[in-house]
Amino acid sequence: MSLARRLQSRATTLRQLLAHLVRRGRFVLIPMVIVLLIGSLLLIATQGLGYVAPFVYTLF
Amino acid sequence: MAAVLGIAAHYHDAAAALIVDGRVVAAIQEERLSRVKHDASLPLRAARACLSYAQLAPGALDRVVFYENPYEKLERILMQTLRHAPRALAFFPRALRSQLGHKLWVLDDLAEQLGVARNKVEHATHHESHAASAFFASGFDNAAVLTLDGIGEHTTTAIWHGRGETLTPVLAQALPDSLGLVYAGLTAWLGFHVNADEYKVMGLAAYGTPRFRAELERVARIEPDGSLCVDASYFDDFLDPDRAYGKKLVALLGEPRSPRTPWQLGESASDQRYADVAVSLQALTEDAALALAQRALRETNCDRLCLAGGVAHNARMIGELARRSGARDLFVQPAAGDAGGALGAAYLGALRAGDRLVTGLPSAALGLPCDPARAAILAQASGLSATRKRDPADALAEALERDQVVGVMSGRWEWGPRALGHRSILAAPGSPATRDRINAAVKHREPFRPFAPAMLDTQLARYFEPTHTLLERFMTSVAVVRPEARAQLGAVTHVDGSARVQSVDSASDSLLAGTLRALERRTGLGACLNTSLNVAGEPIACDAIDGIDTLIEGKLDALLIEDLWIEGPPR
Repeated sequence: MSLARRLQSRATTLRQLLAHLVRRGRFVLIPMVIVLLIGSLLLIATQGLGYVAPFVYTLF
Repeated sequence: MAAVLGIAAHYHDAAAALIVDGRVVAAIQEERLSRVKHDASLPLRAARACLSYAQLAPGALDRVVFYENPYEKLERILMQTLRHAPRALAFFPRALRSQLGHKLWVLDDLAEQLGVARNKVEHATHHESHAASAFFASGFDNAAVLTLDGIGEHTTTAIWHGRGETLTPVLAQALPDSLGLVYAGLTAWLGFHVNADEYKVMGLAAYGTPRFRAELERVARIEPDGSLCVDASYFDDFLDPDRAYGKKLVALLGEPRSPRTPWQLGESASDQRYADVAVSLQALTEDAALALAQRALRETNCDRLCLAGGVAHNARMIGELARRSGARDLFVQPAAGDAGGALGAAYLGALRAGDRLVTGLPSAALGLPCDPARAAILAQASGLSATRKRDPADALAEALERDQVVGVMSGRWEWGPRALGHRSILAAPGSPATRDRINAAVKHREPFRPFAPAMLDTQLARYFEPTHTLLERFMTSVAVVRPEARAQLGAVTHVDGSARVQSVDSASDSLLAGTLRALERRTGLGACLNTSLNVAGEPIACDAIDGIDTLIEGKLDALLIEDLWIEGPPR
């Protein structure tokens, strides 16, 4: 899959996430999500992410 | 007319299920192919295997449906963190890595990895997927549906009304009121693995006395309306991903059991105490599920009940519901846990595509078949003697009559955790010595875990108290062995007189049915011990190589792959 298609795909997810938060009235989470996403982009860029298997997953 | 792939992944027991033109074509758990027990990773092998069985290219898929809503999940985690700050902040970086690293992007990953357009990939919700998997697989027209789980997006327990091709939500309970998480927390306190070993607690329960019910009532209380009220402080608000219980639970019940200590039931007073807690938990679970089941039947005005969600794997609880709920019929989807969500998501996708569903699940054999020609080559390469049998069922019955322990690979492998004669180890059902041999050589189980019988449906009434055929077909419930039959079923009757029996259609042309008919002719008893074809810690065998590995490593007497009889290595 080309980079452009992948970015388009990721943009779809972000749009759906924001639409979900708006629909649920969770406006307070929107700035938090934006900051976290920027942080996660940095983590991806630095290969800092790995799969984390949860034990009990109320927080996962 | 659509081809829809359902996917469950990223928590435990990932799976894929394929529905074409409303009919279930294949359903496979990723662990069977990756050979990693409870594999949670994106089930690409399973998805490709489903497509390959149906001879479809990924491009031919009309929809791919993920079994839960990743956005709602992230929302819950962020809200939980805010609600429990600053305590939850300690776990937040790990939760975030998990969410933002993989889980949020699951729909993109599916599109990219499967080569499907992103606009064809969508999601359902966790409990709706469970409910759909149970109701549409049941074949009922009108039924109450109860989904009992640890947690979905927000929901822990839900009641639905299934009618025709619609599922209407009736009731939903959210965190912290979760029967599944209470059971998981106590499972960890008893020294077992969460999301894997809950069935061990059920086996252990048969050895205890429920003298801790009053203590557990403080942990979880059943309300007069049938709902459950959990005091999450006993579990540190379910925040710590490494420890499923809190200090308050330890203060209430005592020190947790060490997972490394061998069990010494009957000799150790402390192990007896753990068994007493296990049965108290089991009793609480049964009573809570009974209250919910009765409420579900009442609110939907139905007399049929379907169940799914991880808690529905508790066969002893299902047996109690069958006896006490008042439901005329019960059905538990054979892969009731998260893997089964893939099947429900596929059903929901097919409905969204406008297809009419072919409801009901006549068989759980939804995996791939095994090729005996390849097995013959592998047997030869392993130095094992292999011959073709003209009447494999009769040859197998003869071996079981001689007290041999034989692995069986017949047709497509099973959907769900139960081996139903397609990837099984079979033995005579009478002798506890045979059971002990299988335990010592193959399974290395804790001494309190029972084996299960498979029996011709025509003989069930003679050996068991009244049963529900729909439950026994997929081995999803325990039944009570008649006292006078317990000696004859000595290898498969649990210490409390129960057995998780599989009812086998006596008119079926399956190898297992043929073998049981041959056994009935030879001995008068059309039954055998039936356990999964694997050694301890391994997923159930699927391919010939897995079967031959189990034959050698598990020191079986023989392995039958369709009509190919492979003798075990000399002992």
